[in-house]
Amino acid sequence: MSPQSLERFSDLPAWQAMLDRHQPLFEEMLPGSRIGILPRSATSLLPGRRLAGLAAMDLPEGRMLSWEAKEEGMRVGVRSCLRFEEAQVDLLLVPDDAALEAILASLGGDALAVMKKMIRQGNMLFFVMKAKHELQEAGYEDFLDSLGLAFLGACR
Amino acid sequence: MSRPGERKLPHLFKPGHLGRFATPNMIKYGACCVSNYNTRDGYITPRELARTRVIAGTGCGIITNQGAYPDPRGEGKSYFRQVALYDDKFLPQFETIARCIHDAKAVAIQQILHAGRYGGIDLGYCVQPSVVPQTLPHFRPPREMSREDIRRCIAEHVEAAKRAIRAGFDGVEVTSFMGYLLASFNSKFTNQRSDEYGGSIQNRGRFMRELIDCIKQALPEHPLVVRLNGAELMDRWGGNTEDECFELMQQAAGCGVDMISVTVGWQEAPESSIGRDVAPGHWNYLAARAKRECPNTLVAFGNRLPDPRMADDCLAKGEFDYWEVCRPMLADPELVHKAAEDRLDEVRRCIGSLNCLSRVFRDLPYTCTMNPALGHEVEPEYAITPAAVKKKIMVIGAGPAGMEFAITAAKRGHAVTVYEKSERIGGNLIGYAANDLARPEDLQSVVRHYEVMAPKLGVEMKFGVEANAKFMRSVLHQYDVCIVAAGARIDLEAYAHLEGRERLVDALEVARGRVQPGRRVVVIGAGKIGLVVAESLRKNGAEVTLVEADKRIGADVMPTFKWRHNAWVEELGIRVLTSTRLARVTAEGAVVRDAKGQETSIPADTVIASAPRRANQEMFAEFEWMIDELHGCGDALMPRGMDAAIHEGYRLGARI
Repeated sequence: MSPQSLERFSDLPAWQAMLDRHQPLFEEMLPGSRIGILPRSATSLLPGRRLAGLAAMDLPEGRMLSWEAKEEGMRVGVRSCLRFEEAQVDLLLVPDDAALEAILASLGGDALAVMKKMIRQGNMLFFVMKAKHELQEAGYEDFLDSLGLAFLGACR
Repeated sequence: MSRPGERKLPHLFKPGHLGRFATPNMIKYGACCVSNYNTRDGYITPRELARTRVIAGTGCGIITNQGAYPDPRGEGKSYFRQVALYDDKFLPQFETIARCIHDAKAVAIQQILHAGRYGGIDLGYCVQPSVVPQTLPHFRPPREMSREDIRRCIAEHVEAAKRAIRAGFDGVEVTSFMGYLLASFNSKFTNQRSDEYGGSIQNRGRFMRELIDCIKQALPEHPLVVRLNGAELMDRWGGNTEDECFELMQQAAGCGVDMISVTVGWQEAPESSIGRDVAPGHWNYLAARAKRECPNTLVAFGNRLPDPRMADDCLAKGEFDYWEVCRPMLADPELVHKAAEDRLDEVRRCIGSLNCLSRVFRDLPYTCTMNPALGHEVEPEYAITPAAVKKKIMVIGAGPAGMEFAITAAKRGHAVTVYEKSERIGGNLIGYAANDLARPEDLQSVVRHYEVMAPKLGVEMKFGVEANAKFMRSVLHQYDVCIVAAGARIDLEAYAHLEGRERLVDALEVARGRVQPGRRVVVIGAGKIGLVVAESLRKNGAEVTLVEADKRIGADVMPTFKWRHNAWVEELGIRVLTSTRLARVTAEGAVVRDAKGQETSIPADTVIASAPRRANQEMFAEFEWMIDELHGCGDALMPRGMDAAIHEGYRLGARI
């Protein structure tokens, strides 16, 4: 991740403004529901290479971006994330550099549509850290749907 | 080879061997899917046994019984009503199944299915080589297996295998299909271990090799089959490449496994492997490579290879040794017999709707769109038996509901006449199939089946007849029973209050090619009809906007196919407006209104209504005093789709 991208990735007000525009998507989410975003280049999640954990070493204080549902709506923040076990998020999104650039460039527009496209193209990985019924109860259905993520096993 | 079809498909119907066991042909019934017919604690039910008798009678040379989980904790259990094999208490029913298979002269194989990252369905966790969360929201949070866990897991597999042999099975199969435990050890995506079970491909394959070794040592006289991915389709996650998959196959072959069953894809894979949008034969190259790289090990294969003729051709070319088939025999358990008797034109094809899997992933027993009796074999009500009273029956409508009823009733000895207002069999399915982006031939095969079977069963077809009260008076007292299977229509009356309603075009008319829309189109309703019409028009160059009153599109689409429509809509660049309704139609296009009441004009040459739908059931009132028995089925009762139409047609035909 370039220093410029890192700077923009850490621009919390820009993320918050984007979330504010999409608050209806998060309205049904229970307080405490949390989504993490971790740039792939800051991890060891590289295509074709063996994984060795998340280790977000390039990020300030080894932290990831988090969106957390609160009483006042979805709020952006940062959290520690060095291992899957420590992530403490319901859903973890891992964009590669191209996806991150595209998402950051669209923060003033429809960033969620860009994220959906990036997931479909394989530029953004996603990990589901909670069981289906937990996500349903936490009110994730609309959000997952907006990202084009099916609620069922695919077996396509 | 005494039957005519056997001589035409000589490679399929030649005898073979699996280990020391002779097989009457080169067809293996694959354990493609668990049934969810059993008890929550793993016991086999009478429903399952009845189903198994049908499977045993399919005529396959090898029959694989569905996967049982091997551990008492249920970590390997991935399906709600999956069978268990971790204790002798489960043996009696397995003995019955093995006996059934042997009675049918087939080799009996019991599959052991430890689901790994997809397991632990009754637990708060699943086990894996490493903690790598799943990429779909259906599963349990992972726990890493210790070396002790691995040793215990292998021992449990061995015990389950020995138990299967004690029950009378000839051999066992361990599956790594779809990302189950074995696959997750093999994969460099899910195996992040730093001990001797992780890292290099040799280390990742260690669990598999130890598993094979231990089972072979315990049961040296009995064949062992391993299901392995030829392609995981998990590349974007850092999963194994195809080269690595084949290296793992060579490891398995080197350990003395008797057969490798080649499979494709993980449950989490972002691409299709067995859906209708994958052309038959697409994955054959994987089997051919497996055979080249493991020439001394039997190779079984059948992913998206539903046609016995294609399979025979592959066998002739030496691409694999056994045709492994399951889903096509869910649709038609008589498939092998029809092939042997040169009656392939009578086969009910699997159309790849994946109704089976849609239901399994909802924790429901699996069913089949094309085979309404599947899963109901234990119920006499679903059996086709000679009618006690032979009746003269008229059917209104030659869509799937009417035709399914007609052929079922005809098999029971009733005299059936079908009246159809158009000039051919198929109803609304014809238009739907013509516009289907996946594989129109699959849906058209449903129509062809009825076209073949109706004359063979003596069903009289009368086309170009509009069924109304006047028509009914003309046939008064000629029939004992009338079946209204007239389908459903687009309810244009629902727009009666709208300005410009006369400009609306019926989606079904567009689908049938009776109306040619312009180049700029608005489709009202994003259910399956609206989606299929919109996708087809867009593919042919039209500029298309979909307008849906609901929050999401595809509400009536099969769950395992919904993602495909979402992808097509996006790939084709179809504009979608959800939570939006049609406000009026003008000469310039459509004016729509969103949930906040804001209106938007969409320029269009044609505005097509695909929703709501309305059952064509006015005839019920008109005919009630004109016939002894009056029944309805399919969309004429309530608009749904082909699955309900076929199932209701069958059920009514089986009991009338």
